[in-house]
Amino acid sequence: MLQCIFIVSDAGEVMLEKQLTGHRVDRSICAWFWQQTISLGDSFKQQPVIASPTHYIFHVFRDGITFLGCTQVEMPPLMAIEFLCRVADVLNDYFGALNEDIIKDNFVIVYELLDEMIDNGFPLTTEPSVLREMITPPNMVNRALSIVTGSSSNVSETLPATTGSSVPWRTAEPKYANNEVYVDLVEEMDAIVNRDGGLVKCDIYGEVQVNSRISGLPDLTLSFTNPSIIDDVRFHPCVRFRPWESHQILSFVPPDGQFKLMSYRVRNLKSTPICVKPQLTSDGGTCRVSVLVGIRNDPGKMIDSVTVQFQLPPFILSADMTSNHGTVNILAKKTCLWSIGRIPKDKAPSMSGTLMIETGLERLHVFPTFQVGFRIMGVALSGLQIHKLDLKTVPYRFYKGFRALTRAGEFEVRS
Amino acid sequence: MAPPPPQSNRSPSPSQPSGKSEVSDLKSQLRQLAGSRAPGADDSKRDLFKKVISNMTIGIDVSSLFGEMVMCSATSDIVLKKMCYLYVGNYAKVNPDLALLTINFLQRDCKDEDPMIRGLALRSLCSLRVANLVEYLVGPLGFGLKDNNNYVRMVAVIGVLKLYHISASTCMDADFTTILKHLLLHDPDTQVVANCLAALQEIWTLESSTSEEAARERETLLSKPVVYYLLNRIKEFSEWAQCLVLELVAKYIPSDNSEIFDIMNLLEDRLQHANGAVVLATIKVFLQLTLSMADVHQQVYERIKAPLLTQVSSGSPEQSYAVLSHLHLLVMRAPYIFSSDYKHFYCQYNEPSYVKKLKLEMLTAVANESNTYEIVTELCEYAANVDIPIARESIRAVGKIALQQYDVNAIVDRLLQFLEMEKDYVTSEALVLVKDLLRKYPQWSQDCIAVVGNISSKNVQEPKAKAALIWMLGEYSQDMQDAPYVLESLVENWDEEHSAEVRLHLLTAVMKCFFKRPPETQKALGAALAAGLSDFHQDVHDRALFYYRLLQYNVSVAEKVVSPPKQAVSVFADTQSSEIKDRIFDEFNSLSVVYQKPSYMFIDKEHRGTFEFADEVGNLSISAESRESVVPAQRVEANDKDLLLGTSEKDEGRDPGSNGSAYNAPSLNGSSAPSATSQPLADLAFTTTGISGQAPVASLAIDDLLGLSIPVGTAATPSPPPLNLNPKAVLDPSAFQQKWRQLAISLSEEHSISPQGIAALTTPHALLRHMQSHSIQCIASGGQSPNFKFFFFAQKAEAASMYLVECIINTSSAKSQIKIKADDQSSCQAFSALFQSALSKFGLP
Repeated sequence: MLQCIFIVSDAGEVMLEKQLTGHRVDRSICAWFWQQTISLGDSFKQQPVIASPTHYIFHVFRDGITFLGCTQVEMPPLMAIEFLCRVADVLNDYFGALNEDIIKDNFVIVYELLDEMIDNGFPLTTEPSVLREMITPPNMVNRALSIVTGSSSNVSETLPATTGSSVPWRTAEPKYANNEVYVDLVEEMDAIVNRDGGLVKCDIYGEVQVNSRISGLPDLTLSFTNPSIIDDVRFHPCVRFRPWESHQILSFVPPDGQFKLMSYRVRNLKSTPICVKPQLTSDGGTCRVSVLVGIRNDPGKMIDSVTVQFQLPPFILSADMTSNHGTVNILAKKTCLWSIGRIPKDKAPSMSGTLMIETGLERLHVFPTFQVGFRIMGVALSGLQIHKLDLKTVPYRFYKGFRALTRAGEFEVRS
Repeated sequence: MAPPPPQSNRSPSPSQPSGKSEVSDLKSQLRQLAGSRAPGADDSKRDLFKKVISNMTIGIDVSSLFGEMVMCSATSDIVLKKMCYLYVGNYAKVNPDLALLTINFLQRDCKDEDPMIRGLALRSLCSLRVANLVEYLVGPLGFGLKDNNNYVRMVAVIGVLKLYHISASTCMDADFTTILKHLLLHDPDTQVVANCLAALQEIWTLESSTSEEAARERETLLSKPVVYYLLNRIKEFSEWAQCLVLELVAKYIPSDNSEIFDIMNLLEDRLQHANGAVVLATIKVFLQLTLSMADVHQQVYERIKAPLLTQVSSGSPEQSYAVLSHLHLLVMRAPYIFSSDYKHFYCQYNEPSYVKKLKLEMLTAVANESNTYEIVTELCEYAANVDIPIARESIRAVGKIALQQYDVNAIVDRLLQFLEMEKDYVTSEALVLVKDLLRKYPQWSQDCIAVVGNISSKNVQEPKAKAALIWMLGEYSQDMQDAPYVLESLVENWDEEHSAEVRLHLLTAVMKCFFKRPPETQKALGAALAAGLSDFHQDVHDRALFYYRLLQYNVSVAEKVVSPPKQAVSVFADTQSSEIKDRIFDEFNSLSVVYQKPSYMFIDKEHRGTFEFADEVGNLSISAESRESVVPAQRVEANDKDLLLGTSEKDEGRDPGSNGSAYNAPSLNGSSAPSATSQPLADLAFTTTGISGQAPVASLAIDDLLGLSIPVGTAATPSPPPLNLNPKAVLDPSAFQQKWRQLAISLSEEHSISPQGIAALTTPHALLRHMQSHSIQCIASGGQSPNFKFFFFAQKAEAASMYLVECIINTSSAKSQIKIKADDQSSCQAFSALFQSALSKFGLP
């Protein structure tokens, strides 16, 4: 049971305070929290659940904004964290982005939203479609309308009918001129490659994202050609469990608009689409670095937005790096970023250079880890393929679109 | 410099306030608008309200506008209403008189046509939290609960809970709980049902400390019909309400195994829910239900493995940390089940160090014959990590694996490689590990010593590592050519050595070396003993003196004492007792797991104040007991399957009362099951009712001191001399500990406790306050239903004589065990009688 929620800007300023129970949490706790965070140097290093002298604090950090939840009583920590994440998601959804100015400009709406999302510390509804019916999000049309008519109420006149319905995620009977459904497979590849080039670990975390714009109450089924490769799945509440259990078919009444239908995991892939070979030799106060990038197993599609990034080790005075393709930049915090873009067909991109080590040290003792980024449109590297998408119950013709995308998640190469 | 703010700021976005003048400015503007019905007045009001609220949000006190805001609140505009509710809710508490003004329009809004306004008004009305306005709440709440709109009912149910917190008696008198009970089982809207559940749980738990009926009501929430009713509808609930229901189900005790399987089948798909909180709550249900069935329990682990691992890899870093903490607990409990998933615990470069630390511990735990090689290879990668604490941690992990594993061969080589890495912290950690390794596997001494001998003691700075190196120099001095000379040079620098630990080790090492190579070491020994004798550190001085006299007495005896042939250590002591681990497991899906401590060790620390010492005294008794529990713990490890069951269950034969500890994991029967979450709630109640509860108790104390006529248990008190206690006795915790150790037990008794007392003893604090009012102070307390443990002390009035009491109360058997230690033995009986009578009055109205 949360007792209070604070929204704090990236300067440590309390932008919003929502007391939830009779027990009042003083906002000085935010100052305490901020001190703690500063003492660690980076909010990233702060544990998401910490104990202050008076309260237990949960915090979620999104786009420079910290969402703090405070409580004095025992509660499931994940529930608090999930809820705060949901608050961040909903605000992002409402305002299109999250930053200090947006929150400050729309704090009345934030208050209204929090009012409906949580009462007396118990989360009520976090379903965006339901909230949208109670509190209309600010948008250009509304704003223009309010100027013309002079009456601007961002609160709808009626209560959503769906709060009590069996499909709470769907608004009542939307109408579209063109009925369309887009299904995206978005995969992220997490991999660790050892210094000898061996693949230590390679997993894929994937999501099926659906954008549904269909009139009425559609019932959809989606099936895969090869569902057996999936290790574990998580579903949006709309997915019916039995059809998946018996035939690995996703049967669901979709929420309106964009949503995450399912997430899945595929373990132990045997290869990566690109290979990165770093080499470091250090001697006599300097360190020679060379990094080669190449296509290992051609996925058949263009590999795009390739980047290689590494943290310069401590005790490095200066770095002089050049590449035969793309650009090399030394960013803040001693990060070296090599943006390659597309890998050319005719030559293998390489980057080389020297690092000057602080005087007194002969050799490097700490070797950097290279983080690789890439994007491949049009292919899901796990091999998962959509078989077909059917629409039941509603007799419309509708347009179906499928896309796939794989990008690097935590893809790291050790040296 | 920013330009000075214009006199009247018309921009609708919240601007930086200029302080007092702006507040008075707003005040006059609000006043002008208050009665205005002109077109466009609502818009200007809205701008003004927005400014007021923005000031409130930034933290500027705008409570002085209360009157004007209320005047302006007569409006039909819903946004204005909402802002007004928000304002009123925030400041009503500090302006109780003015809050009365708002009651009128809130009550009117509660009868509005629009259900949204009815709901909002009711919510605001209940959120005023002003005690003298509760009479105005009862009516609207009663209507709200019967409203035909689910939104209003949902708000009203939570409103009942809010009312209860403001004034419990009003809430109970109006008999709202009966309506809630009805709604719980009959309302068509699931959110209303969920809110009823939350409200009833909280109310009954708080009430149950004073009324037996409430305790019964709380039990009925856990009865089969209620639980089944909720379970059958679980898919209709919102995800958060599902968490609530699942938490309830986790406390439910099914009557037979088929019931357990039914519940698990019903809930299985919840494991695939997108909301992690639901998944974790479901896992808790599964684990709790199957505790008594070892086979199924193991299958549950297999089943929940995949969802947990997916949770870790998806979602935000905050979410994965929370899941990882729970995964960590399970891995520590049943490492062999996760041994094939070790790659999931590999650390990624970008992860924060607290995540890496958890992962390292899990990697250490899951290592077995088949994966040791790969895990150790991976761990060695981290030793070169940029993050030095993690590098250290991973070297330690390698060492731990070496100590628990079979294939030590390869690991020893790795460790020796660490020694050659020329990084001081790596060398330090590795030295400590090599020392531990040698204690367990003396057969590796040849290989290790060869490498250790090459390390110059000058490069080792950290005390722990230095001590390890010195220990090895002493122990293996005959194998290391220059051991005596290295030791000699260390002795020469005696004064520069700041760590007493190192100096102690140095003394012992020189002694050992002397027995093996006397001629070479004699000089060093003399110097070391001389330096030791003049050392300012007490321990070092004493040890030097002891060695000196021992050598004077008989050199061969000294050798037998200081350097006897050693047996290899088979098992190193575990740091966390298995009972604590069990306790944390019982509190799965709670903060305990994240902090890796059972909740009694940290929850409500803020209420603890002077009792903060409780942990340490608690540890005292735990450490005394852990010696007994080492044996059963090892026995358990022998059998993999049984490991899943708590060690506390293994030891069922042990009488929980007789081992002198209050820290047994609660037995898994119905009566104690709800205690895990009910305790914090009860604490909340305590803070609210505590102050009012003080007065009557204090008056009781006076009767008690006047006449000791109350019949006291079985102890026939031979008309004791009147004993007066100092009501303001002071004793600091360390003095208590010292006294407790010094004094012998002068009295040890067992008594039964009245049922009222048991009912009142939901938390240790309830008793503390009570005893305090009898001039008996508590210095430490701990435990959870059914076992509580307290340390009390009291001081004789106008005398220095102290009484120390250890009191163990078992609420399920209604027995208390009391041990009294006293400075003054003669008055011990009288004190005991006094203590008894004070205890027997506990819980009486």
